[in-house]
Amino acid sequence: MKMVYEWKPEIVDIKETENGKDIEFSIRVIAEAYYETMKAVQQVFEENDVITDVFLYTFPQHEYRVIVRKDYYEDFILQLLKHRLLTKAEWKEETH
Amino acid sequence: MEQQAVLAIGIFLITYAMIIAEKIHRTIVAMIGGVLMIVLGIVDQEAALHHIDFNTLGLLIGMMIIVSITAETGLFKYLALKAAKLSKGDPVRIMLALVLITAVGSAFLDNVTTVLLMVPVTFSITRQLQVNPVPYLITQILASNIGGTATLIGDPPNIMIGSAVKELTFMAFIYNLAPIAAVILVVTLPIFVLMFRKQIQTTPELKQSIMQVNEREVITDQTLLVKSLSVLGLTILGFFLHQMLHLESATVALAGAFLLLLLTGEHTMEEAFTKVEWTTIFFFVGLFVLVSGLIDTGVIAELAVKAIELTGGNPVATSMLILWLSAIASAFLDNIPFVATMIPMIQEMGNMGVENLEPLWWSLALGACLGGNGTLIGASANLIVAGMSGKEGYPIKFVQFMKYGFPIMLLSVVLANLYLYFRYLL
Repeated sequence: MKMVYEWKPEIVDIKETENGKDIEFSIRVIAEAYYETMKAVQQVFEENDVITDVFLYTFPQHEYRVIVRKDYYEDFILQLLKHRLLTKAEWKEETH
Repeated sequence: MEQQAVLAIGIFLITYAMIIAEKIHRTIVAMIGGVLMIVLGIVDQEAALHHIDFNTLGLLIGMMIIVSITAETGLFKYLALKAAKLSKGDPVRIMLALVLITAVGSAFLDNVTTVLLMVPVTFSITRQLQVNPVPYLITQILASNIGGTATLIGDPPNIMIGSAVKELTFMAFIYNLAPIAAVILVVTLPIFVLMFRKQIQTTPELKQSIMQVNEREVITDQTLLVKSLSVLGLTILGFFLHQMLHLESATVALAGAFLLLLLTGEHTMEEAFTKVEWTTIFFFVGLFVLVSGLIDTGVIAELAVKAIELTGGNPVATSMLILWLSAIASAFLDNIPFVATMIPMIQEMGNMGVENLEPLWWSLALGACLGGNGTLIGASANLIVAGMSGKEGYPIKFVQFMKYGFPIMLLSVVLANLYLYFRYLL
């Protein structure tokens, strides 16, 4: 089973790549109403006791690089959904 | 020897052994040891209370409150990111920049607090560069103990010595210890590079990505930052002037802490009080009472006599004995209980006619602080970093740390030895 997700391109643009023990996201927030949202997502992971779960790096033009430890992948996706950057997240059977 | 003295030694040694064994938390062990001294009538409660150094406790609590509020602003993340960008994303230069930030931070905050702030930032930067964080963490441990040597508030041994000896003011610590701490730091920087440069290689693309990070975004609360930095600056100024103002360092730290709480409001207070390391505070309370049993039964005086007999009262020999004994002991034991035992012993030497105690105090401070670099259990900061690192999947092994820490410790104590000899004993 794999988690898949969807988003509205007028709100956000998301690219995801695998990198060893991590999944890396390149996220660009497009809609002004959501400019501060990634900070709220970051705060969720900063308030727990785990240091290396999610690292968020802020770039100009509301672009973010996010390095997510694989065991926190679903938690991160669910936070994006909770903060309405995603419209949908669901489990899908993996097709090989 | 009186029965009470034998009993006091027994309680002290068992407590010490249990602190080293680490089977039960050291705070519980120290407090039970202290309580036993009172319950068994070795010291009464009134005398025990008089032996608790509230200046040490107040200074620690005050600084913990100020730093916990300041940390909320993202200041330390900002500093580390700024340093990484100034280093052009180069992993070796970043390592040295973080070492310098840790050393300076440890001099003006306590070193446990400093490493607690530096570890998450280090993980963040090394993850972005895709390099092993362990060399960064090891060098920061070493830097925290070297930097903490420089001032009265930098390391618990210095806080305790400064509290016990009124003539040793904040400025006296800076004047006497900061020069040698700076020399040791400068000497160790190229050694750090030689030790670790091959382990921390990255790609030009990753270096470039660090350069594009917007470090201003990590400052979470500008208003709080201004208030925190103003109060922190005032507090440090207060330390510089505390003798002139006729105030103890604890009064300065607590005044700073409660001024900041006044400026930030009640909601900050609850959070700040939860960040105070009460386990450390009670560890100190237990130790002060435990050592009071040895003082009041004359055991410490007896030890002082033996030390003077061993060195013939010669100031050079006594200083060297204290420096090296403190360094080796602090490498393998927690330096806090060791210093708690040594302070009354040196005071007793003064009562027995040793005239110039100043070199002995500096020997104790240098030995205890720098000795903390010898092994992973040498100082609280070492254990805290190793614990955090291990939890994140990057264990720092005892032998692995000792391979780097012990030679650095020996080198720094040799430099301290030369400094003490040429400045105070020649």
